[in-house]
Amino acid sequence: MMTFALAFAILILVLALGIWFAAVLDGVFSRQLSGHGTAGLLAPFHASAVYLTQQRLRTEAPDQLNWFLSIAGYLSVAAIGLAVVPFGPDLAVIGLDTSVVFWGACESLIVVLVFLHGWSPNSPLSLIGAYRYVAIGLPIMLPSMFVLIAVAIPAQSLDLRDIVTSQETVWNVIRQPLGLPLFLLLGLSLTLRGPFDYADSDDLAGGTSAEDSGANRAGWQVARLAMLVGFSAVASTAFLGGYLGPVLPGFVWVIIKTLVVMAIVIGLSHLLVRLPVARMLGLIWKILLPISFLDLLWAGLVALA
Amino acid sequence: MTLTAILIVAAALFGIGLFGALSQKSFVMLMMGLEMMLNGTLLAAVGFWAFTLEGAPKGQLLAILVMAVMAVELAIGFALVVAVYRKREADVIEGIGTMKQ
Amino acid sequence: MGRIGGTGMTDLLFYALSALAIWSGWRVFRVDSMIRATFALMVSFTSVGGIAVLMAADYIGVATVFMMAVEMMVMGLFMVMFMMNPAGLNPMQMVHQYKFSIAAGVLGFVGLATAVLLTNFPDNPLPENRDTLRDLGIELLGGSMLIFETAGVTLLATMVGAVALSSRRGRFGDSDAGAAPPGLHPGGEPAGRKVEKGGGHGGHGGHGGHQMNMEKTKQDSSDDPHKGHGNMSETEA
Repeated sequence: MMTFALAFAILILVLALGIWFAAVLDGVFSRQLSGHGTAGLLAPFHASAVYLTQQRLRTEAPDQLNWFLSIAGYLSVAAIGLAVVPFGPDLAVIGLDTSVVFWGACESLIVVLVFLHGWSPNSPLSLIGAYRYVAIGLPIMLPSMFVLIAVAIPAQSLDLRDIVTSQETVWNVIRQPLGLPLFLLLGLSLTLRGPFDYADSDDLAGGTSAEDSGANRAGWQVARLAMLVGFSAVASTAFLGGYLGPVLPGFVWVIIKTLVVMAIVIGLSHLLVRLPVARMLGLIWKILLPISFLDLLWAGLVALA
Repeated sequence: MTLTAILIVAAALFGIGLFGALSQKSFVMLMMGLEMMLNGTLLAAVGFWAFTLEGAPKGQLLAILVMAVMAVELAIGFALVVAVYRKREADVIEGIGTMKQ
Repeated sequence: MGRIGGTGMTDLLFYALSALAIWSGWRVFRVDSMIRATFALMVSFTSVGGIAVLMAADYIGVATVFMMAVEMMVMGLFMVMFMMNPAGLNPMQMVHQYKFSIAAGVLGFVGLATAVLLTNFPDNPLPENRDTLRDLGIELLGGSMLIFETAGVTLLATMVGAVALSSRRGRFGDSDAGAAPPGLHPGGEPAGRKVEKGGGHGGHGGHGGHQMNMEKTKQDSSDDPHKGHGNMSETEA
């Protein structure tokens, strides 16, 4: 019970710190690249205060239940995805044998929730954003699952705790070099950022969040950032060794590595261009998926050698 | 959580699926009825594996095969729905009653 | 099996998940909004996955949730494509042989439940601390590899078949041939807005339309000041 309480406290700390850090870094990047927006350590709090005091606008005949469920669900799935990350030896909020598959289930639920978020306002641009996202979000899960299986091969287990233990000799980013870049692309897709920002894109005037206002908008943006934190924690656990590190306690290393991965993902999201949907679809199915097969093959050959 | 309880839940899911498959006019809702029946079957398979097979791995294999059947049925079913729609512009079952007297 | 803190908690979770599975399964066929029906089915599958996890079939439970989320997403897209009323905003009657199917469903349930209650099942429960995941892995790629590979080839054939049946130059005509919505009754005119044809016709119609707009402006400005304003600025510009 004590370990559960401690792990839960660390989870809340990581979420809060990570969301704030991501919001600040987002602001810094937008300011540098476009001159708009405020960049400052308290800017996220100002923005959320503005959102929370705004009136919540309604559309005609929305699906209110699904609107609420999609935002709450996105935040919950982000927190649950973070909960399988081990913060120390045997210190995970949810300790499952099959955490890799559990994370995959979280990924697929995100696609469902983003679609619901675009469906519920009963508005055309939101629905277009949702459709585009489904076309891209479903196939991008495939390379990510193959990459995670490749990571699970040297650990001989689907449990994230065993995957961290197997990295005590060398980190997975070094012995499986194709893995982390592919996984970062998944992260961009899960958090609706950068080149995979088809759901909330600017050319759809905000896409699925075109009709969000007030507390709904604040909730959705916070949920996106929470997903970024969860994804970065899983990426740092699977590829960068999680809580392994020399001097500091385990969970501090998890926080540092998570923040590093988050910074990389936020940088990529502001610096990479977004392709048209058809081209991105071709890219995923014809290039990224075969590369993930190569990654899996490489991991298998190394394990058999 | 006895085997009887699990099998009664599975039977209930199967019954609901049967009702749906027989009563719905639209193709897509018909397929949802079929999926519901397979849902009940999956639950029953896992229940039998846990309570009467001593955890022999072939029981889990049966459950995985049921999931594969669900995927195959969904894919081919929707491809057929699309093909029928293109040929006959029918999106409800009454639209393909060409063999009726 | 008593993995989640003793049998009391497990039983409670089992009853809650079963109730959720059955209730959401029933709601699938009762809600008006098709997207809600699809995701109610997903909730039902998720509950069954949860029950499987309670029975120590970890992988099957989580994989069920994974697969069903994706399947229901695809089904939702087809729902919106093929049903005239996907959000349930208009009441529509979408059932046939209603009483017969209720009877069939109830009869099916009663028959199966009777069979379950009257049978003596052998009692070989799952031993504690059995590594079911390892067992499944070794079985899939060991003793039952033929079955698994056959399933894999079947899935490949399914993918090829689905693409062949629905590709752009499909077997049953061009993929754009059926792009009209169906009629409101079988065999009727396609429902929905009719797009007027011909660019040249539009040119002539533009002139005539212009005149018509001017007449309409004089008529409309009396009853609807907003519309009058809009039309007048359009004809002036």
